[in-house]
Amino acid sequence: MPDTESDSLDRLSPGVTAVIAALDFEEADRVRLMELGFIPGSSVSCQRVVPLGDLAIFQVEGTQVALRKETAARITLQASDAGRNPDADGG
Amino acid sequence: MPTAVEPGTATRHGSPSENRVVAICGPPNVGKSSFFNRLTGLRQKVANYPGITVEKRLGSLRLEDGGQVDLIDLPGIVGLHPRSEDERVCVEILRGQSDTLPRPAAAILLLDSTNLQAHLRMVPGILGLGLPTLVVLNMADELEARGGSVDTKAVSAQIGAPVVLASAVTGAGMEEVVRFLRGSFAPAGKVELPVINNIPAERQWAHSVAARSSYHAPEPSLWGRRLDRIFLHPVGGPLIFLAVVIAVFQSIFTLAVPIMDAVESAIGVSAGWIGALLPDSMLKGLLLDGVWGGVGSVVVFLPQILILFLFIGLLEDSGYLARAAVIADRSMRAVGLEGRSFIPLLSSYACAIPAVMAARTIENQRDRLATLLIAPLTTCSARLPVYALLIAAFIPERPLIGPFLGTRAAVLLGLYAAGFFAACGTAWLLKSAVLKSKPAPFVLQLPAYRWPTIRSLTFRLVDRSKIFLRRAGTVILVTTIVLWFLASVPYQNGEPPPIGESLAGSIGRTIEPLVEPLGLNWKIGIGLITSLAAREVIVGTLGTIYGMESDEGSPALQQALQAELSFGGAIALLMYFAFAMQCMSTVAIVRRETGGWTWPAIQFAYMLVLAYSTGFAAYRIFG
Repeated sequence: MPDTESDSLDRLSPGVTAVIAALDFEEADRVRLMELGFIPGSSVSCQRVVPLGDLAIFQVEGTQVALRKETAARITLQASDAGRNPDADGG
Repeated sequence: MPTAVEPGTATRHGSPSENRVVAICGPPNVGKSSFFNRLTGLRQKVANYPGITVEKRLGSLRLEDGGQVDLIDLPGIVGLHPRSEDERVCVEILRGQSDTLPRPAAAILLLDSTNLQAHLRMVPGILGLGLPTLVVLNMADELEARGGSVDTKAVSAQIGAPVVLASAVTGAGMEEVVRFLRGSFAPAGKVELPVINNIPAERQWAHSVAARSSYHAPEPSLWGRRLDRIFLHPVGGPLIFLAVVIAVFQSIFTLAVPIMDAVESAIGVSAGWIGALLPDSMLKGLLLDGVWGGVGSVVVFLPQILILFLFIGLLEDSGYLARAAVIADRSMRAVGLEGRSFIPLLSSYACAIPAVMAARTIENQRDRLATLLIAPLTTCSARLPVYALLIAAFIPERPLIGPFLGTRAAVLLGLYAAGFFAACGTAWLLKSAVLKSKPAPFVLQLPAYRWPTIRSLTFRLVDRSKIFLRRAGTVILVTTIVLWFLASVPYQNGEPPPIGESLAGSIGRTIEPLVEPLGLNWKIGIGLITSLAAREVIVGTLGTIYGMESDEGSPALQQALQAELSFGGAIALLMYFAFAMQCMSTVAIVRRETGGWTWPAIQFAYMLVLAYSTGFAAYRIFG
């Protein structure tokens, strides 16, 4: 896992795509987020930041999912220059 | 007839039912209910609330050879790691560990063909359960319309299970599904599937299966992006949300009234016919005033309730509801709940019972408890008849914002808001004192926007009508008859007594000191007791007590109320109905869901105190 300045999901600007590196949650929450598509290796893009707030909508594994900023902050992304995961075709 | 035996299945429970039972499972938002509706038509039922573990839809399909297949529509799951009650029940049924249902003979895994790479991840887990399984790739019409395609034979060969591309909307591919249900479907060859419980590995496997099945994902729908831009707009989003809510409430009054008038006159005319047929007797009184009048007074609200459900159905089926949840998340969070609590709370506007059960999807047990404790405070549809009657009798109709919002709709909106804020305040109290917990990560899937189909809306309405009429035919009927007897005895000189001297009258007078501080008299007091069975019963009760046609629209009943109640008393009564737990079915379901009497008892007492004190205050202010 590249630990050099790995960015987190909450800092992803709308319209930008990146690849998920790791999820920093306790096991139950981690599994739940993975089941909803936030899987290490999946490509994810931020679609929009929701009015007034701390919610953002992401496109991941073909579905749209809304996350709170604090949740997104605990999902780290692969450094963009580290090359895309070959499996992450993103559709 | 024994269930058909497929090769390759080691474990099988002997099913006590004669019919082959097939379970339909899959992730949420893949069109499971329209698939289920397409197969079963009207031969389905939502299992009764008390005594079951989950809102399960059961249906059956008659086969050409005269046999029958029973179908279970399981709640949506995103994986086999059961986190919520809902998923636990689903997995238990599929594993044959359920107490209430035998293990199904086979399963149908319904996936969305427009998002195949992601959804194929479900396959190893479900096939690993060992049931003969058909994988249905639904929404074939959308896949095709947006230029996608898939080789189902290649998918089948790689997963070792039959695969069908189908569309529940157009009916394409459904004959093959029926063939599987009959049990005559050649199983595909056994294939080594990836170890389950490793999601990244499952994902890689799913992507490679899709790639090797020449899967072309459809073009993304541009409409979805455009609609999100509107519905989630910083200013426009919340405004649209508000406009939608107002439109729903305004139409409950304006749209429903002509239909309700028609229903009402039909009841009146038929009562006349029955009256002419029967000789004068006590039985005639029971049939006309007790049964026809009492039940009729409740049935007349069916149009309003259907309009409410029509709107909820439109919002849910179109995909807007999830966007509304996104907009509402901030306020939900302010009271300490997670955004997912919004969905059960919204369905509690229809009825608290499905809402209490929908709370099962909330993984955090404390949040779940808080949600089901506050759900009965939101305005369910059973309060609507009571509100409608009192508003029509005490609030003069004047336009407030041109033709868009009148005083009556505004008062109704205010009552809904009162319930909403009471629920929020209670949630905040609970979460900051009794049920503190670490916030769970908030994750909400947004389904794609879809045109609601007339078919699925019709099914919803038929479903709701059945439930409502069943209530009118049982609980409400029984209460009405009992009340009629209490109001008709003891006979004086062969005539029913004046209501004040009847048994019902003496009961009412006994409790009068309790309701007097709210500006209510003993007649309303009787209504408060009978409506413990179901809130709307009070309309029929007052009709029986005042000895007249008891429709909300009936001017006679309205005039009688105007003569008996002050304006302050009417407002107090509205407050009482807004907050009191006047519904034994909800008490029963909360007891069941919390596993004891403690929480429902606390809930009942809390709501009673809230209702009584706000009613008392309202009478002081407006009386």
